[in-house]
Amino acid sequence: MKVKEIMKKPVTSLKPDENALEALKYLFQRRISGLPVIDEKGRLLGMFTEKEIISYILPSYLEQVGRFVYEVDPKAVMQKAQHLSGLKVKDIMRQHVATVEEDTSLCEAAHLMLTQKARRILVLDKNKSVLGIIAREDVLKALLGDCK
Amino acid sequence: MNKIVSKLSLLILTAVSLGFLGRLGGLSFHQALSVSIFSASIIGTLFFWDFRLSFAFIGTAILLATKTTDLEHVIKFSSLEVILFLVGMMVIIGLLRQEGFFAWIVSLILRIRNLSARKFVFSVAIASALLACAVDEVTSIIFIVAAVLEICDYFEVDAVPFIIISVLATNIGSAGTVLGNPIGILIATKSGLTFEDFIVKAFPLAMLALLSMIFLVLYWYRKELKKLDEQIARLGSDEILYHLIAVPPDRKTKAALSLFGATLFLLAFSHRLDLLWGLENNTVLLVIPLVSAALIMIWKHSQARHFIEKDVEWWTLLFFLMLFVQAGTLKYTGATEVLARNIAGFTGNNEGLLVSVVLWVSAIGSSILDNVVMVAAFVPIVQGFGSLQVNLQPLWWALLFGGCFGGNITLVGSTANIVAIGLLEKERNFRMTFFRWFWVGLTVGIVSTVIVWVALVTLPVYR
Repeated sequence: MKVKEIMKKPVTSLKPDENALEALKYLFQRRISGLPVIDEKGRLLGMFTEKEIISYILPSYLEQVGRFVYEVDPKAVMQKAQHLSGLKVKDIMRQHVATVEEDTSLCEAAHLMLTQKARRILVLDKNKSVLGIIAREDVLKALLGDCK
Repeated sequence: MNKIVSKLSLLILTAVSLGFLGRLGGLSFHQALSVSIFSASIIGTLFFWDFRLSFAFIGTAILLATKTTDLEHVIKFSSLEVILFLVGMMVIIGLLRQEGFFAWIVSLILRIRNLSARKFVFSVAIASALLACAVDEVTSIIFIVAAVLEICDYFEVDAVPFIIISVLATNIGSAGTVLGNPIGILIATKSGLTFEDFIVKAFPLAMLALLSMIFLVLYWYRKELKKLDEQIARLGSDEILYHLIAVPPDRKTKAALSLFGATLFLLAFSHRLDLLWGLENNTVLLVIPLVSAALIMIWKHSQARHFIEKDVEWWTLLFFLMLFVQAGTLKYTGATEVLARNIAGFTGNNEGLLVSVVLWVSAIGSSILDNVVMVAAFVPIVQGFGSLQVNLQPLWWALLFGGCFGGNITLVGSTANIVAIGLLEKERNFRMTFFRWFWVGLTVGIVSTVIVWVALVTLPVYR
């Protein structure tokens, strides 16, 4: 089975110049953890997710400093959270996104999800324009269906 | 694209020209080729930092393919002892990070009671220098920057001056022991200077330079310090900082600290153990980090691969290895001996003048280039002075201090500077300008190098 058979379309997306805080509120409203960022020509630019926002708000040196526990919330973290309204989606989005072409097999999509730790994969055409999206759930349902 | 082409053209042109100049100056084909390749590697690191390992690999391959060196000498000059020492230390640092040692240091800095601007500068500078001595400059600067940013955020003051102060102190402190900087262990292994020599001769000089730096920055940043004092008075108690982070006490943390303490203790007495067991100088120094790393891998056996694969910076170590091979080839072909003869002839074999040349050239060179590149190039030249009956000890110290203190001059002068500025840019969306760093860096660089210069030329202990 190919991903084009199970991909969802049209893809709900964000624009790069949208306000980051508004975009986050939109994620809350839709009860999803992230959305692709696509330009006017339909080309994929990145992925805007809750994880990226947490990573932006917390200090970047956390991992390097090593094991510790925050007993109270640092001022800078609270300030960064408040400054989110001054940022655009493109300032925070992750640029590396897992993608496949529409003729990719399901197993290859599952392989990518596992190796690239991707919850969802964007399906692109030859011109790198977004055609659809597949989530882990879609792949699993299709594979289980195949097993039957 | 044009910029890349012009940089690449400049690199090739400079490397080829140096080779031709060498030929005209009397170097043989292989000597001139080794000079060309080494200069290409140096310029490659300057222009194409992300591709430095590729340049180093290609350079070494050309040296082998043109028979300028052979496999036996590639292995001989790769300074495996330095690489293995660094591998051992990186595993130990990995354990300390994992067990919260660095976070604990950050929490100690955040808990300074009755903080004042002067107290903050003294504490951060001394902590930066001593921690650079104990671990290494790149590791220590990360958590010092973390502490400085938290404190500056709390008191709502510009963090830049305090980050610059901590980096200046880190670079100065990194000359204090063999552990502070990769050039420390490189010089120790090539010169036969021991950990004890570093403690007795390099540490006091580094501390003197640190003291001068502290007084200099207290004056330089007097307005910023006044502002911090005002903010401390306005915002009052620093209870939030006191409770900000904690490292839950754990038996493993204590065990990790004990292992690190024992490693430092044995390193300090490594020369005594060499003498006791009739070993060659620095044998125990090289063995101790390996034994400690081995114990860590037995203790944390399920993470042993993680320590070796993630905590050891193989990219950097392989670059060092290739660089040492290329610098060694300069020695093998005799190119550095010709250069050493010319420098010695120019200075009339005057020891003081030679020390001055090595100190200032390495300081200025390290302000532009990675200091390991600079020192790797200088090592065979200094060794070349040996055949001219020159006392090498002051030259090794000159190389160490020039390499470490020169890094303070520009914002790209050392890896610690780049790491600290990178964190600042990421955390504060702040762009450091060349001159904001340069004037204070240059002043501190000159003052600290002059202190060392006077000491090396006048004090008999350094001869």
